[in-house]
Amino acid sequence: MALLEVKNLDVRFAVRGGDLTALRGISFSLDKGERLGLVGESGAGKSVAAFSILNLIAQPGYIAGGQILFEGKDLAAMSERELRKIRGNRIAMIFQDPMMTLNPVLTIGTQMVEAIKAHRRISTKDARAIAIDKLRKVQIPSPEKRLDQYPHELSGGMRQRVIIAIALLLDPEIIIADEPTTALDVTIQAEIMALLLDLCEQENVALMLITHDLGVVSQVSQRMLVMYSGRIIEQGPTREIINDAQHPYTQGLINALPQMGEPGARLFQIPGAMPSLKNVPSGCPFNPRCSFATDECRSSMPEYVRAGNVDVACYEVERLMAQEQQAREVAP
Amino acid sequence: MMTATVSRWARVRDSFLWYSFKRDKVAIISFIVLLAMVLSAIFAPLLAPTDPYDLAQIDIMNSELPPLGMSGADEAFPLGTDAQGRDMLSTILYGTQVSLMIGFGAVILQAVLGILFGLLAGYMGGRVDAILMRIADVQLSFSTLMVAIIVGAVFKASFGSLMFGEIAIYMLILIIGLAEWPQIARTVRASVLAEKKKEYVDAAKVMGFRTNRIMFRHILPNTLSPIFVIGTVQIANAIISEAALSFLGLGMPETQPSLGSLIKSGFDYIQSGSWWITLLPGLVLVVLVLVINLLGDWLRDVMNPRLYKG
Amino acid sequence: MSASPLVDIRGLEKKFDLSGSLLEQVSFKNGRFQRKQEAVHAINGVNLQVFKGEALCVVGESGCGKSTVARTIMGLLSPTAGEVHYEGKRIDTLEGKALLPYRRKMQMIFQNPYASLNPRMTIQQTLEEPIHFHHPEWSKADVLNKVQEVMQSVGIDPDWGSRFGHEFSGGQRQRIAIARALAVDPEFIVADEPISALDVSIQAQVLNLMMDAQESRNLTYLFITHDLAVVEHFGTRVAVMYLGRVCELAPTKALFATPRHPYTQALLSAIPRLEDGRPNYIRLQGEVPTPVNLPPGCVFHGRCPYANDRCRQEIPELFATGDGGQVACHGVEEGRL
Repeated sequence: MALLEVKNLDVRFAVRGGDLTALRGISFSLDKGERLGLVGESGAGKSVAAFSILNLIAQPGYIAGGQILFEGKDLAAMSERELRKIRGNRIAMIFQDPMMTLNPVLTIGTQMVEAIKAHRRISTKDARAIAIDKLRKVQIPSPEKRLDQYPHELSGGMRQRVIIAIALLLDPEIIIADEPTTALDVTIQAEIMALLLDLCEQENVALMLITHDLGVVSQVSQRMLVMYSGRIIEQGPTREIINDAQHPYTQGLINALPQMGEPGARLFQIPGAMPSLKNVPSGCPFNPRCSFATDECRSSMPEYVRAGNVDVACYEVERLMAQEQQAREVAP
Repeated sequence: MMTATVSRWARVRDSFLWYSFKRDKVAIISFIVLLAMVLSAIFAPLLAPTDPYDLAQIDIMNSELPPLGMSGADEAFPLGTDAQGRDMLSTILYGTQVSLMIGFGAVILQAVLGILFGLLAGYMGGRVDAILMRIADVQLSFSTLMVAIIVGAVFKASFGSLMFGEIAIYMLILIIGLAEWPQIARTVRASVLAEKKKEYVDAAKVMGFRTNRIMFRHILPNTLSPIFVIGTVQIANAIISEAALSFLGLGMPETQPSLGSLIKSGFDYIQSGSWWITLLPGLVLVVLVLVINLLGDWLRDVMNPRLYKG
Repeated sequence: MSASPLVDIRGLEKKFDLSGSLLEQVSFKNGRFQRKQEAVHAINGVNLQVFKGEALCVVGESGCGKSTVARTIMGLLSPTAGEVHYEGKRIDTLEGKALLPYRRKMQMIFQNPYASLNPRMTIQQTLEEPIHFHHPEWSKADVLNKVQEVMQSVGIDPDWGSRFGHEFSGGQRQRIAIARALAVDPEFIVADEPISALDVSIQAQVLNLMMDAQESRNLTYLFITHDLAVVEHFGTRVAVMYLGRVCELAPTKALFATPRHPYTQALLSAIPRLEDGRPNYIRLQGEVPTPVNLPPGCVFHGRCPYANDRCRQEIPELFATGDGGQVACHGVEEGRL
C-alpha cells in the first residue's frame, strides 16, 4: 500500500458567480521514502494540491470531492482535531519564504520547542536536545547558540535550513516542500537541495517537491508529475519524462528553457498563456495553445494512456501510439 | 480573447464596490437617509414652510407650541415652535444646511492641506518631512476643541460678537479644517512612502519627469483610497465638533444656527416642559452623524481587502 | 565592436549610510564616547564598458550590487565616487534640462511587472505620457500612431489601451513595460531582471521579444540577471559580480567554456541542469559576508578554496587573460589556477 494516495481530488473556490475549479480529478501516489516532483507554472494548481493534502486551503477554497489516503485513512474526511495530530508530526511542510515562515519575534529555540511539545509530552530540556540534534543534521554550525538567536540574525540559507530542521523535528513520514528554494540564490539553492536530498535518503522520508524549475526536479526527484490548469497531464519516472517528454506542453516547457536553446537564436515559445480559473477551455485545457489540437481535444478531456512507464493525458499521444502499434503489427 | 473597450458605466456596474453596496442593507439605508438629509438641506429655502430668520414672519404669540400629536399643536407648525415662535421644521432644515456646510467645508480644507503636506513630506523626505511632521505632531497634541475655544474666545473679545457672528461659518470651517489636517497628512504620507518604492515611480524618474509631475500625477492618485474612508468619518467629526462648540456658545450664532446651536438655544426650555426645542434638532444631529459613520464603516470594509488585491 | 564604448563606468562606488542620526551613532563604551558609522558598501570600484549593439549581462547573487549598478547608471542613485559616461560625456553630474536628452536615449525595464505600471493609469495614458513629454511638438494624431505602433510591436492589441494594468497578466504587463521603454526610441536599455518574475514559458516569449527589438531597433542592452542559463542564451559578454566588485568579464562563450574565477566556477556548477541526476556542484565554504562589513583584500577570499595571504590583504584588479576576457583574481594572475 502506498504511503499517500490521492484519488480523484477536486478542489474548488466558492466565489461570486459560481464555483471555480482549481483541481480536477487529481490522482497520484507516494511511496515510503519516494521523492516526487510536482511541476507546473503559476496557476496550474500545484500549491493548491500541496495545501489540500493537509486540508490547509484557505477560504473560499474547499475540497469538493475525492480522497486523500494517508496510510489508509482519508485526510479529506478527517476532523480538524485529527488533522492537527498529523500536521507537523507525520506530514511536515516547508514553504517558500523562510522569513515569512519563522516568527520574527520568537527565538529559533522557542519555535522549535513549541513545535515538538505540540505533539509530544516531553520536557523542555529534552525538546531542546532534539532541536539541537536536528540543527546539527542540517549542518548548521554551533546549533546550541542558534537556539537563542532570532530569525533575522541568520542568513537566508541558514533560515531555510532551520525550516528543514523544524520539518524533521518529529520524524515525519512525508515532507511537502512548496518551492523551497525559489527565493534563494543559486549557490544556496544548490546547497539546500543537496541537503534535502541527503536527508530524505538517510532518514527514508518521502518528499513531495513542488517547483517550476525543471532542473531542480530532474536533480532531486525520482518521479514527477506535470500539472496544467488543475489537471495532471503527464506523470511518471523523472528521467523518462525529462529525456523524452510525451505531452506537447511538457515538451514545450522543456524546449522553452534557455539552456535548451541555441545561443543567439530565438527560444522555443509556447504561444498564449495558461488560462485563468475563470476561462478554462472545454476539453483538454491546453488545446488553444497546442499545435496538434483536434476537435476531439476541444470537446473532451483525454484519458491517461501509458507510454513506457509514463501516464499521459493526450489524444495526440494516443494517436501516435496507436499508429506505432499498427506499424508493429504490419512489420514482421 | 477580449473584445472592444469596456465602458465606464459597465466598469462601475461590474465593480466590487457596487456589488458589495447592493448586498449591504445597512449601507443602502444609510445612503438613502443621508441623501434625503443632504437634499432637504440643499433645498431648505424651497422646502421650509417659513423663513425662520425673517423677523417679519415670526410672531411671538406662536412661541413654544408643541409638535403635532400633542395638545396645543398648530398644523402650521408640524414640529412645533421655539421660544421666539420660529417654526421648528424650518429651523431644523436650515440648521442641517449649516451643519453640513461646515462639515463638508472643513473636510475639504483638511483634505487639501493634508494631502498637500502628506505628499510633500512623504516624497521629499529628509528635512521637509521632519519639519512638516513635527508641526503635525504639535498640532495633534492640541485638541480641536481647545484650539477652537481659544481662537473663538480671542476673536470674540477682540472683534465683538456681532462681527464674529457674521463670519462664524468661515471661521469654524477654518478652525476645524486647520486642526484636523495632520490625520490626513499622516495617512497620505504613509501611502506615499509605500508607493515611492514601487517601480512605476522609478520608471517615471527614468523617463525624465519632474518631481511635481511624479508627485501629483503619478503618486497622488494611488494614495487617495484611504482618504475617502477617513474623509467620510471626518465629516461626521466636524459636524459634532461644531455642535459642541455651538453648545458652548462659541459656534454659530442664533441668527444663523446650526443643529448644535439649535440644541443649545433650546436647552434652557427643557425645564419648562418644551422639550422639543432641544430634542428634535438633537435627534436629527444624531441620525445625521450615525448614517455618515455607518457609511464610513461600510466604505472601510469594502476598500480594505481591495487595497491588498490591487 | 566599435572602439569607444557607448556607456563607460569608471571606478564606480556606492555606499548606503546606515548610521542614522548623530544621536544613534554615538554611544558611551569603555569610558569613552564612540561613534559608530555603518554603511552598506553596495558597489566597491566597478569599471565596465558597454559597446554599441552588444548585450552585456551582469550576473551575481543577492547583495552583489548588480541592481545598484543599474540604478546608478540610470541616475536613480548618485554615485559616492566614480563616473558614468554616455557617448563620451559625463552624465552622473547632470540634472534637469541637461539630463533630459539622455533620459530619452537611455531607458529601463524593471523586475516586478506588478509594480512597474501605475495602477491608476490606463495603458494608453502610460504609453502616451512619455512620448508627449519628449516630443511636445508632435500632434495628438502622431502620438496616437506611435502608441499603436509600439503596442503592436510588443504583441499587445492597441484596442486594449483603455484597460488598466491589473487587467493584464504578468507577461503582458512586462510587454507593456517594454513598450513604454521603446516608445521614446532609446538607444540603450538597462533591463533589471526583466523575466525573473515570470513563468518559464512566458520568459521565453519576453526574451524573444527583447531580442527582436534589439535587431530591429539597433539597441544596446545591459541585462541584469541571476539566471545564468538566460545569460548563456542572450548575452554577448558577461560580467560576474560579487559583493560590489566585478570578478570576471568575458565573452559569453569563453566564460561558459572556461570560467577562470573560482566564484564563476562555483556559480556555473550550481545551475541545476536537466541532464543531472543529482545536485553536482562546487561547494563553497562559509557564508556570504554582508556588504556592511566588507572583508579586507579580495571580497571572495573567505569562501575561496584557493585563497592565500595575498588574497586576504590585497584587492585584485581586473587584468586581461588573453582570450578576450578579464579576471580579478590573484590566483589566476599568479598562474596557480
